[in-house]
Amino acid sequence: MNEFVIALGWAGLYGAMALAAIGSIIGCAVAGQAAIGAMVDTDSGYGRYIGVSVMPSSQVIYGIVVMFTLQRDVTPENAPALFGIGILCGLALMFSAMRQGQACASAIHASKTKPEIFGLSLAPAAIVEGFAVFAFVFALVLAGNIPG
Amino acid sequence: MTDAHRYAMLLSALPYHGPLFSAKQTPLSRIRLNQRLALLEPEDFACLQTLGELQDWARQDLDQTDTQAVARANRLVPTIAHPFARNLVIWRLELRTLVAALRRRRRGDAAPNDNRWGFGRWVAQIRRHWHEPGFRLEGAFPWLPEANRLLALEDAVGLERLLLGTVWNRLERLSDGHYFDFEAVVIYVTRWDLIARWTGYRGEAAVQRFDELVAAGMTPIALDPITEP
Repeated sequence: MNEFVIALGWAGLYGAMALAAIGSIIGCAVAGQAAIGAMVDTDSGYGRYIGVSVMPSSQVIYGIVVMFTLQRDVTPENAPALFGIGILCGLALMFSAMRQGQACASAIHASKTKPEIFGLSLAPAAIVEGFAVFAFVFALVLAGNIPG
Repeated sequence: MTDAHRYAMLLSALPYHGPLFSAKQTPLSRIRLNQRLALLEPEDFACLQTLGELQDWARQDLDQTDTQAVARANRLVPTIAHPFARNLVIWRLELRTLVAALRRRRRGDAAPNDNRWGFGRWVAQIRRHWHEPGFRLEGAFPWLPEANRLLALEDAVGLERLLLGTVWNRLERLSDGHYFDFEAVVIYVTRWDLIARWTGYRGEAAVQRFDELVAAGMTPIALDPITEP
């Protein structure tokens, strides 16, 4: 039983980063494709399309930080906490990256036709980023209370 | 890549078309559109081709009879694998069946003897209620009374505007929730076709008007024979 609990602890430890990476991969791929499409259809503003398309990469950075914060000797006492915080934070980061990628793709698509709404069109993606930051920060706060 | 975003690149590479009736030209040429559609997966491209064969007037064989056209539609529609595209083409063919019925009745034709003259669910209902203005289908098709009125007035432009607007509005409703998927591509291409048709009419009208003006301007001119001094 202890081995299984310890395995869960390791899953939580690495899961925070792995799940966030999956989200960033999907989010950046969706937004990146929209950016490439927009570049095909326009004659300027290429840099900002690419800039917006990499927004979902921040989640994997948060995931790496959470992973290092959780890193310690995994014991039956701290494994459940590592699992809970790591996996749930990872899921939050993954979904936020995926949805942020979709929001970025829509922003790129809309601002291509109406460049004047470029800044405003990024508001949904920025709000999604805010929720990812919540998940990240409170994972760090709770990680400080894990024994060991 | 999620299925709902598989065509993010393609759709971002297509320019915005704007409202139908204020369009002066298609947002991009047919050649450019076909170049961009090369990004589609082969099965989706084939689906779009079948859709075009069924919907584009330019690709219809005008020598075939109604029965042959309906048989062709009945043969091609089941081959469309994508449910969204299949339902859209069924809806459009049913709309054309209704308009065909209105035109036939206006021409003085009697109710058809069989169901092989039209496509879809409403053929039998139309036959049964041939002499009623909207074939008792006004509830399902609110535009029918207006189409009937425009046909009676022989307002061909008004009728075409009504029908194109009906299809456009239908696409508007269907586009909810479809941003970067195949459904969005189907909607874009169908809208492109509607714009091409509407702006094409304007072009044909312009050429006709130009010919009339040229003919009117040339008629009274009588050139005097040039005489050598």
